[in-house]
Amino acid sequence: MMELQQSLAMVFDWQVLLVILGASIFGLFIGAIPGLTATMATALLVPLTFFMDPLPAIGAIVSATAMAIVAGDIPGALLRIPGTPASAAYTDEAYLMGRQGKVGQALGVNLACSVVGGVIGVAILAFFAPLVAEFAIQFTSDEYFWLALLGLSCAVLVSGTDPVKGAISMLLGLLISMVGMSSVSGQMRFIFGVPELLNGIAILPVLIGLFAIAELLRRLPEIGTISLSKMPLVKKPFEGVGGLLWKYKGGVARSSLLGTLIGALPGAGADIASWISYALARKLSRTPEKFGTGHPEGLVSASSANNAALSGAYIPALVFGIPGDTITAIIIGVLMMKGITPGPDVFTTDAVLVNAIFIVFILANILLIPLGLLAIRSARHILSVPHGVLYPLILLFCIVGAYAANNSMLDIWIMLILGLFAYVMVEHNFPIGPMILAVILGPVVEGNFLRSMIKANGDLLMLFDRPIAATLGTLAVLVWVAIIASALMSAARSRPNVANKENT
Amino acid sequence: MRIHDFILGLLTVLLGTITVWLSKDFPSLPRQDYGAGTFPTLVAVLLIAMGLILCLRGWIQKGPLIVWQDAIPIGHVLFCIMAVVAAVAGYILLTPTLGFPIVSLIMLTVLIGVFTKGRWWLAISVATVATLIIWLTFAELLLVPLSLGILEEVIY
Repeated sequence: MMELQQSLAMVFDWQVLLVILGASIFGLFIGAIPGLTATMATALLVPLTFFMDPLPAIGAIVSATAMAIVAGDIPGALLRIPGTPASAAYTDEAYLMGRQGKVGQALGVNLACSVVGGVIGVAILAFFAPLVAEFAIQFTSDEYFWLALLGLSCAVLVSGTDPVKGAISMLLGLLISMVGMSSVSGQMRFIFGVPELLNGIAILPVLIGLFAIAELLRRLPEIGTISLSKMPLVKKPFEGVGGLLWKYKGGVARSSLLGTLIGALPGAGADIASWISYALARKLSRTPEKFGTGHPEGLVSASSANNAALSGAYIPALVFGIPGDTITAIIIGVLMMKGITPGPDVFTTDAVLVNAIFIVFILANILLIPLGLLAIRSARHILSVPHGVLYPLILLFCIVGAYAANNSMLDIWIMLILGLFAYVMVEHNFPIGPMILAVILGPVVEGNFLRSMIKANGDLLMLFDRPIAATLGTLAVLVWVAIIASALMSAARSRPNVANKENT
Repeated sequence: MRIHDFILGLLTVLLGTITVWLSKDFPSLPRQDYGAGTFPTLVAVLLIAMGLILCLRGWIQKGPLIVWQDAIPIGHVLFCIMAVVAAVAGYILLTPTLGFPIVSLIMLTVLIGVFTKGRWWLAISVATVATLIIWLTFAELLLVPLSLGILEEVIY
């Protein structure tokens, strides 16, 4: 009980509350602008969190992402352009509801379901994370090696349709993580005579480059292509929302649960959760033919799932230090910069902090209601901010942000180069998620492997000696078999495609 | 723009090969087969393998090696990319001498002016306010040493 009181005192500090409010408004703005993602909001926030204590830092990221995902629904319903990828699954549905004069209801459903999904996700997180942590406390380097490898492998498997490109992206991330001095042997690697690289490539410029600069490069040429003329006025949000929620309560519960589980899988985040929940809702619906015509059932499911997934991703992140999605990968990076290594020990040594994080989650989700309403009301104004003004401002913010952590111009170069690189990769359908996960997990995989080998005198089979390690190891091997099989299948499949194209 | 998978595969193989070559001299841990070179070599070998699969797939698919298929003309896309590169490189090279306030003001004014198709008054006012806010947040509040450059002599 003492701990809970301490946690509450930590959260209800005016500075922390101010940070949460500020970050929510920032997330609202970024999420509502088409093309700017929740991950980008996080990447832009990190330079500021660098100067904060751990709790406000995490609070800022948690509230900004939750708000960005909710605000991402707004341009979807108004303009048929999803604000963030997590809204893409049900953009058409929400827009068509708007066409029927129910735009207020569509956005109200989005908002209400997001809050319900988010709160259910947090409840599952707060209940299960300490249990899993208790179980994980006996893990050694063997288990952590396999767990991190499993995280990387799952990230490749679920990253997209093309596992080969996912794997290449992951391997490139591992290469980035190996620059600098090896943590186990002290050997310098790939520093090319640049002394500033001795400590490795800093995480901040990597994040900003991969998620902000690359996005900026993709969006800049599109300036002026979005027309605001046909935007409908939002009337009476929340009209009939309670009734709809009650009618589809099964869908809300199922999707929140499913969303949390998908979020907890490494590599699968809010966007995948919302696609899968939407598809499942259609399959289980009594009226599947109404899906895609402005029917709220899919909307209810998918918008509960994407916010639940945000919380779910924190289970592996807090318990094992294995990120569940790109946003938690960033959070782990932030915590490590502050000298906290997420893992089961955190639940005993920093129990107050962990509880405080859960409270922040609940607070951020409750804050969605007033701020979400504000966002819906002011959508027209946010959407009419000229992108030609906004993007240069984001660019300057990126530059100063990349510089801020180490006061190093080299970091700005790294940001630019990786941004250009990620831009080319995304244009060629390489997913970026596996890359950032690999940058974070690379040292974990390598360090634990070498530690295990030192203990086992170089006997590889000892990695399978402990029962949990053996189970995790087998799983990791199975996932790799699946990756290789689907890579080979994709190579084989490309042949009939060509034949078809030539015939038509 | 789309570069053919065959070329992307070749580049991946090349990168893998260079990495193998760079990691061959890393020493292993005492009394061990493994060490600082193990992971880089493993990653490089996997890169070569994945690159070869990509090459093979590209070879089967055929098609032009480089093709432009976007709705936006290539000239405009290249212009935007060059604008970002020039802005960042300009910032890095000019800030130590000119100082953050001047570079930021010029950079924002030019970029906003260009991307809003000539709304220069808007550009100048936004640039001034934004420079001031970023300076106050980062330099004054968070104590990030943003360079003052030549302004240092003017102010002090």
